[in-house]
Amino acid sequence: MSENAKPRGPWSRLYDAFGVSGPVTLALLAASLGVPWLPGEFWTHVGTEVLILGLFAMSFNLLYGYMGQISFGHAAFFGVGAYATAMLFTALKTAEGQIGMADFLLSLLAGPPVAALAALVVGFFCVRLTGIYFAILTLAFGELLFYIVFSWYSFTKGDDGIQGLLPPPFFQDSTNFYYFTLAIVAAAAALMWRITESPFGYALRTLRDNQRRAAFLGTSVRAHMLANFVIAGAFAGVAGALWGPFSRSVNPGLLGWGESGIAVFMTLIGGGGSFIGPMLGSVIYTMLQAVVKMYTVYWPLTIGTIILMIVLFAPGGILGMIDQRIRRWRGAGRAPAEEAETAAPATEPRR
Amino acid sequence: MNANILEVTGLEKHFGGVYVTCNVNFAMQEGEQSAIIGPNGAGKSTFMNLLTGYHRPDAGKVVFAGEDITGLPPHKVVRRGISRAFQVSSIFNRMTVRENVRAAVQAQMRATFRLFASASRLGAEEAGRMLALCGLEGKSELIAGELAQGDKKRLELAIALAGRPRLLFLDEPTAGMSIDEARTTMELVDRLNRELKLTVLFTEHDMGIVFNHARKLTLLHRGEIILQGTPEEVRANATAQKVYLGEHHL
Amino acid sequence: MDIGPYALQLFSGLSRAMVLFLLSAGLSLIFGVMNILNFAHATLWLVSGYVTFSVFTFLSQQFGASPWMLLPAIVATVAAMMLLGFALERFLIRRTYDRELPEQLLLTFALVLILGDVIKLIWGLENRRINLGVKPMEMFDTLVNPYHFVIIGTGIAVAAGLWYFLHRTRFGKIVRAAVYSRTMVSALGIPIPAIYAMVFALGVGLAALAGGVFLPLLPMALGVDLDIIVQCFAVVVIGGFGSMLGTFVASIIVGVVYSFSILFWPDGALAMIFLIVIAVLIFRPWGLFGTEMRY
Repeated sequence: MSENAKPRGPWSRLYDAFGVSGPVTLALLAASLGVPWLPGEFWTHVGTEVLILGLFAMSFNLLYGYMGQISFGHAAFFGVGAYATAMLFTALKTAEGQIGMADFLLSLLAGPPVAALAALVVGFFCVRLTGIYFAILTLAFGELLFYIVFSWYSFTKGDDGIQGLLPPPFFQDSTNFYYFTLAIVAAAAALMWRITESPFGYALRTLRDNQRRAAFLGTSVRAHMLANFVIAGAFAGVAGALWGPFSRSVNPGLLGWGESGIAVFMTLIGGGGSFIGPMLGSVIYTMLQAVVKMYTVYWPLTIGTIILMIVLFAPGGILGMIDQRIRRWRGAGRAPAEEAETAAPATEPRR
Repeated sequence: MNANILEVTGLEKHFGGVYVTCNVNFAMQEGEQSAIIGPNGAGKSTFMNLLTGYHRPDAGKVVFAGEDITGLPPHKVVRRGISRAFQVSSIFNRMTVRENVRAAVQAQMRATFRLFASASRLGAEEAGRMLALCGLEGKSELIAGELAQGDKKRLELAIALAGRPRLLFLDEPTAGMSIDEARTTMELVDRLNRELKLTVLFTEHDMGIVFNHARKLTLLHRGEIILQGTPEEVRANATAQKVYLGEHHL
Repeated sequence: MDIGPYALQLFSGLSRAMVLFLLSAGLSLIFGVMNILNFAHATLWLVSGYVTFSVFTFLSQQFGASPWMLLPAIVATVAAMMLLGFALERFLIRRTYDRELPEQLLLTFALVLILGDVIKLIWGLENRRINLGVKPMEMFDTLVNPYHFVIIGTGIAVAAGLWYFLHRTRFGKIVRAAVYSRTMVSALGIPIPAIYAMVFALGVGLAALAGGVFLPLLPMALGVDLDIIVQCFAVVVIGGFGSMLGTFVASIIVGVVYSFSILFWPDGALAMIFLIVIAVLIFRPWGLFGTEMRY
């Protein structure tokens, strides 16, 4: 094993323990605490959006980075969570549109379990297949759920969406709502970290790397995939639950494949092979979108080209590239054989 | 009384009309170490696939330790104490060597649904033992996909052993290895067979390995068992020679 | 019983089915041979529609307006698009063959976004359609657009042509063999990269033909590609990847189901299709005529 002559500094030790996600998470956390100090409400608002969508993208990454499957219908659970919260919210609020703190929190609690239930039903069918068939099936289910919400006017108000989700006065202040969101997202992320570093999390990685071999270890592929699908759906539901009060309304588009695409893009930009990659991707994507849309209407062209470049030249995303550099620089844990350029495993960060 | 740990009766498998396994009757006693030999295409790998649930037999029965396991899917077969190493190393490329073995240990411990336990602590000792046994502790932090071929095969074996099987199938365990590596590997297998009473069935092309490490041979040809016996018996047998050498008479 | 509206839906459904077939045949071939699911297939179709429009307008200005100008316009478009397809395969898609599936999907997905905006850049936001000035015919007590029959005829002709190509010509047989086993074809000394390039170009050519043929019927507009690609996936899943017969049959099923659903549940026509896809993927993932599970 390689010996590093100089003593390991704190950043190094952080990297050893938590992979590239360690330092990056700390940096993001520090930055996020300071966001409301920036002038005006704009950045606080953007920051809240970044956090919510970042959690959504991280939930997607449970399926993609950790289990190796790509789902084009994950937004369905984000949207279902949003609608569950929105509908309970609407039922609990007064005729004038006010809602008490307790009722508000209660409505938030509705999102994740309903999303998890939807994920259980959809997942039951989807986990029977993998690869391309899984991708198409999740797309089909996502669109199906979208159409149900879109058409069932009497229940969901269809295309009109549900409006008037005004939080209690305390949370109408965007700084308060921001820190509230930060607290929830941080707690959810901590829970997610726990899960990904558990035996279950590593079992998922075996499904990603070699499904056949995983079966020959004694792991039941379908059961584990379904469990992960439900967990990912539940976390998406948490993000969805926060979205309604944040944007004051929900609409069927939240379930569509466009929204699913956002999670995919964020994960790809930040790096699907690391825990915090999707959140970093959310920061970059959201800010990029805000800036680009100020200058041009050709946002799809921009993001499409970026995705193209990433897929071709940096499939591990930004954290993938950084991790590759760090590992090469340290020379740690590499067998004498291949050059880093071509070896596929080297593009993926370890955590 | 030496009970049969494995009993296979009338096993058949065909793919679109072509019989790859034909009325095979086969048995193994606990603690036995045997080999299946045969020319390429004889159906050795298919036989192992059938026994481990990777293919479903069209007819016949597979009984393991008294239980009928015919047609069970691989993960259920493995849970009952059968393990298998593949001809082409089938490992988890993006995980480290230690994580590979650890995952196998945790699967065997039925711990893979533990969401809140620590993966690095659960089963760590056992994983360490497996690594040491297979000579991999110096390489435990390397990424599996970056290992040299011989090491990959050793990892393959370590993963198969981590399941603490009673019956181990090895599909060409020394393929691609140097003479020294092959010898070390087979000596390890011998030791496991002796000390742990591990029943081992392996396929091989290298006759030297077969004669030195198998106590019983089964010769497979076009999906059928042609001959069974000790290595000396098989070596002396005329049919065996014909099957391996074609129509040349010695 | 007044069969007027049903007859109308049937013909419109059949012609929609033929357009779906032309598109899905390319998609199915590309996936069957190259294992690439081309998300951008319908977007290429949309681009073809716009290109055909421009060529048609240009020719009409040069040589006088006439519906017959559509033919050379289509021919020119197909040629140009096949070149584009060739270039896309050679410079972009080829780099992803040894990659994981999600990355391949994302590459073609990115192309959807890029090409969609390219259309906006070149042609702006308005739809494009051609009015061939064909008079509707009276059939079954209702007025039917006879152009539907042109499309249906074209679809059947192309289907027959494809069948002949795949089953009677040497190149076609190689393509079919490649669907079963790439390694065997390569082992026979046939260069796989060349096959891939030609299959992709062929697929795009079919999409271009579909685009040009469709133009007089319905307007080409931004976003139509997104609706259509999902229906193409449905067709290919239901019929089976790599099977032309399956694609043909499934196109008819999807086209007709969609048309008739418009009568009963306008918003849910697409949902009906998804239900069928889900059912197929659950009970028979390789489709009606596909070869058993390949992924």
